[in-house]
Amino acid sequence: MKGKLWKFGTREVVYAAIGAALYAVLAIATNFLQIPSAGNVSFRPAVAIPMFFGVAFGPIVGFISGFLGNIISDQISGYGFWFWWDLGNGIMGLIPGLMAYSFTSFKAQATIIKAEILIIIGVLVGMAVASISEMWVSGADMKTVIAGNFIPSVIPNLINGLVLVPLLMIAYDAVISRSGR
Amino acid sequence: MLTTWRYRPHRSLMERFDPRARWIFSFAFLFSATMFWDARFLAFFFTIAFVWYFSARTRWQETKHGWRLVFFLLGMMIVINTLITGGGAGGVVPPGGKLVWTEGLRLPLGIIWHFGLTYERIWFALCQLLRILGISAVFLVIPYTMDPRVYGITFRRLGLPDKLAYSMELAFRYVPTLGRDFNTTFDAQRARGYELERMGGGIIKQIVRVAPLVIPVTMNSILTGEDVTNAMDLRCFGQQPRTWLYELKYQPRDIALIVFSVAMLITSLLLTVYPFHFGKFWAPEFLLALGG
Repeated sequence: MKGKLWKFGTREVVYAAIGAALYAVLAIATNFLQIPSAGNVSFRPAVAIPMFFGVAFGPIVGFISGFLGNIISDQISGYGFWFWWDLGNGIMGLIPGLMAYSFTSFKAQATIIKAEILIIIGVLVGMAVASISEMWVSGADMKTVIAGNFIPSVIPNLINGLVLVPLLMIAYDAVISRSGR
Repeated sequence: MLTTWRYRPHRSLMERFDPRARWIFSFAFLFSATMFWDARFLAFFFTIAFVWYFSARTRWQETKHGWRLVFFLLGMMIVINTLITGGGAGGVVPPGGKLVWTEGLRLPLGIIWHFGLTYERIWFALCQLLRILGISAVFLVIPYTMDPRVYGITFRRLGLPDKLAYSMELAFRYVPTLGRDFNTTFDAQRARGYELERMGGGIIKQIVRVAPLVIPVTMNSILTGEDVTNAMDLRCFGQQPRTWLYELKYQPRDIALIVFSVAMLITSLLLTVYPFHFGKFWAPEFLLALGG
């Protein structure tokens, strides 16, 4: 199982690419979503994609989906290249990916709970890495980074991940049983 | 709805450089600039960054979206955190310093606000401005000036494994296809009465309402992925080093840029360590004299 978890064969190459492209497309498509009463903060339901791809296809696929997907989405939106935020998005996909291949049913309650726990850890670690980089790049202190970067990025990503990933897992379970793949 | 690349050929000086040399320069710049809080050095990096930026010949209309984000973050970081609360200066600016309003700031109705803004913090705000704008200028211009078709080969030639570089290449090529799939699904859902544009309610309700779009597009692309994987396996993907459609070749100007980048990084590193210790926060005497 361990060998399979970190394998990067043809299947992983393809799903990493699809995950990254999906993340980028959905991030741009849902840019209009706003947090009520918080004018400038846009919601990104697409963050659920690297998390789900991690759970379904392993940590490397999850990482590339998040890392590369964020790069492509910023490419298309014209936000430039922000390495540490790309890395943070990658980690959000990598950590849920650690549970891949360790279960048989995507819709089992235990699987979903395990995925939710790893999503929480992934979001906290990923956004912490990205936010702390601001201390090094911009000279902000810890309080600033927590209030200005960490909390505003953690809350929406957590909500999106916790709501959408289980829905994707249940749908994927149905696809697997229907298609026999 | 979607998805167009920001890249348009500008026939600029920047675009003549090999993408590998440009990435090496960008990262060398990032690591060098972040070693300094001394405005004299930061002014040097700022100048290099904007010479580089203007060599791209991008128009304001193109880049304004990205710059707005940078200025928003700068405003938060500098005005609120460094100037008003002093948080941003923590750990870099020595404690204490010369107060700008020694007897407090007089507000209307006779209120006196003991606002602890120091001249050092104002100078630190300038340093932040130079550093963040410089780094932003170097990285913000990348999407507008680098052809997405060369990302795969660029990172392969920079040393990334073949499969990883190919995954990157494939992702860029998938974007228009998935954009089209998204549009088809969106139209199909709209025909069933789904209205994405008029979404009220709480945030969780909004996310759940996005599901009828996200789930079919994701599941459809996963099924397509199985077919692509099979097709690639049948063609023995990954058995031998692959060839690439575009090839990159260093020109003398690329070598010059790489040499400059490496020299900049090594010099920065040497200047900040023993015995020089340059790069720490520094404020000019004239500014400190203003405080009396």
